[in-house]
Amino acid sequence: MEITTEKRGPITVVAIAGSVDGMTAAALISSFRAEVSGGNIRIVGDFAQVEYTSSAGLRALLETVKETRQQGGDLRLAGVTPDVLRVLELSGFTHILKIFPDVESAVASFPA
Amino acid sequence: MRREIEHAALPQNLQAFRDFIEKACRGAGVELSVTRDLKIAVDEACSNIVEHGYARRPPGSIGVSFEANGEKVVIRITDRGNPFDAEDAPAPDLDSDWRSRRVGGLGWSLIRKLVDEVAYGSDPKTGNRLTLIKKTSHADPGGGREED
Repeated sequence: MEITTEKRGPITVVAIAGSVDGMTAAALISSFRAEVSGGNIRIVGDFAQVEYTSSAGLRALLETVKETRQQGGDLRLAGVTPDVLRVLELSGFTHILKIFPDVESAVASFPA
Repeated sequence: MRREIEHAALPQNLQAFRDFIEKACRGAGVELSVTRDLKIAVDEACSNIVEHGYARRPPGSIGVSFEANGEKVVIRITDRGNPFDAEDAPAPDLDSDWRSRRVGGLGWSLIRKLVDEVAYGSDPKTGNRLTLIKKTSHADPGGGREED
């Protein structure tokens, strides 16, 4: 798994490539925590290159959603692949996460 | 067609178990949607063994076998770690709002949703065995010619 972080104005785009599983989820959690602790609470998770996630990945997403929303921000997902979407749907995460077709629309969804 | 694989119960081997399922499904002509679901279910089961089965003890091994008979895929996952009692798994929280949402029990919940049958047994002599069965419409019982 590879994580690339990019600032787009007040929004932080965290692009993930590869698989998020019991081996790699810790690195994703660390990356999200570093952003939130640095005050970057408006985050877009670019999942276009994520081929797989297990429930370990969902733990990282839920923790970050809670942390950012409690501070007035949010974690929103972009470009979720069908395989990842299936895990999100079966786990009831599509009810609590805001998901957008691409990074541009996810970035634009945050209030200016 | 029957294949099997064994690796140490370590997080870095989860990808190898998923790759094994993908390759075995492809060799047996299993449709992609079933392959995807089986990869997730096997990953969740192996993750549970890595995280809980060998908790507080040196990691042993996990064995995964794959059989396709044209109508269904049967996967058996074996280990010699702490027995798992499904009754002890926390009930999954699929409906709470984000403030009170919990993720405990999600792995086991996913397994149950992704396959048609789940059976678990534990024996002090032979260890633990989780059997996952999923119906398939395209599995080729004569498949498996592809070499590992």
